[in-house]
Amino acid sequence: MSAERRSPIPLTIVSASTPDDPQTAGDGADWSKLMARSQYGDREAYRTLLEGVTPYIRSLASRCFKQPTDVEDAVQDVLLTIHMVRHAYDPSRPFGPWLAAIANRRIIDRLRRDTRRKAREVALSAEHETFAELSANLHAETSDEVALAQAIERLPPDQRQTIRMLKLNEMSLKEAAAVSGRSIPALKVATYRAIKSLRRMLKQQSNSP
Amino acid sequence: MTEIPDLIDALVETATPVRRLRPPIVRAGLWLAFAATVLCLIAIAHGVRPDFSDRVRQPLFVLSMIGALATGILAAVASFQISLPDRSRLWTVLPLPPLALWVATIGYGCLTDWVSVDPDGVHMGEAVRCFATLLMTSVPLSIAILVMLRYAALLRPLEVSVTGGLAVAALTAFALSLFHDLDATVMILTWNLGAAALIAALGSLFGRSMLEWMARFTTLPR
Repeated sequence: MSAERRSPIPLTIVSASTPDDPQTAGDGADWSKLMARSQYGDREAYRTLLEGVTPYIRSLASRCFKQPTDVEDAVQDVLLTIHMVRHAYDPSRPFGPWLAAIANRRIIDRLRRDTRRKAREVALSAEHETFAELSANLHAETSDEVALAQAIERLPPDQRQTIRMLKLNEMSLKEAAAVSGRSIPALKVATYRAIKSLRRMLKQQSNSP
Repeated sequence: MTEIPDLIDALVETATPVRRLRPPIVRAGLWLAFAATVLCLIAIAHGVRPDFSDRVRQPLFVLSMIGALATGILAAVASFQISLPDRSRLWTVLPLPPLALWVATIGYGCLTDWVSVDPDGVHMGEAVRCFATLLMTSVPLSIAILVMLRYAALLRPLEVSVTGGLAVAALTAFALSLFHDLDATVMILTWNLGAAALIAALGSLFGRSMLEWMARFTTLPR
């Protein structure tokens, strides 16, 4: 049946990896072996695979997203998806099309979500500002963002990881538990403590100008 | 934002061995075997329709049954195939020829039978039992296919839920024609096509969120 041939990529936004694609032609067979070993729980093979495919996924994502943060988010989404469906890979089939199909699917989903969000949101123009003075409106927000990012950096590692997973990456408790290997109650406690520490840190900062 | 190396660390940390999925054709076969078991159990409990031996001699009835059964089988195969990311989307057209045959024979039946509709032929009791068969067939089959294809929530939720819904709908319609002698045109239309359309529509409306819910409910990588 014709379906046994290489899968066409759903949309043309991201071009598929082709047999002459330098990214997959050389490494495809290796990636396939690495994935097969990962399915048996070989962590070193899994690490080599994930580190190997990251630049390729990033190159696909950077064709669709302009902001570096969006590109990184998309790469993370694809890596997480590979992790979730890694049992669905059949090592007798080439790894390249499997990876490209997952990456395209997730990237297109993100693009759709972004488009929907943008359709609902209206960009603020100068008239929407409460004060005519530019700095009166924008400076405070930027400095708040910077202060929050710095405060998150200062959190203990487990709290920092929890806040990043649950709040910044908007993962569910279950996903975060699967990824971090920690229990849901532990994550809830860590979130509670992290928010408490962040509040204290930001309060201290605003008190000392 | 989590740095990618941190994420890779976390993923590697949780990389326990996973059981590889069997080939899609085998998994479709398992689901169809489950469907056959459900139908056999209903057949034992309920018995086939009283006029079954007469009906199998009518080519139109046999064609319609073959159409529904083939649609169910091929839609299940298509659903399991396209649930994998690297399989062609062309698999979605696989159930279309038998679907056309099935729909065409129902349509033809309607055109030939509508004059002889007997308003008293279908009474409430039979309709209720018919509805019970519909639920007994479609609910376990839907749950089984949702569980088996939950990982597709992240990949092709729409195609998988539509073909999966079609498979359940076709087998449910097959069961209805096997067990109930509802020959009146309106009832055939309502139950066969109506049930099929309803289940397929529910599949496409809620299939995506159901698959996502099921994926979250049962942790994917063991």
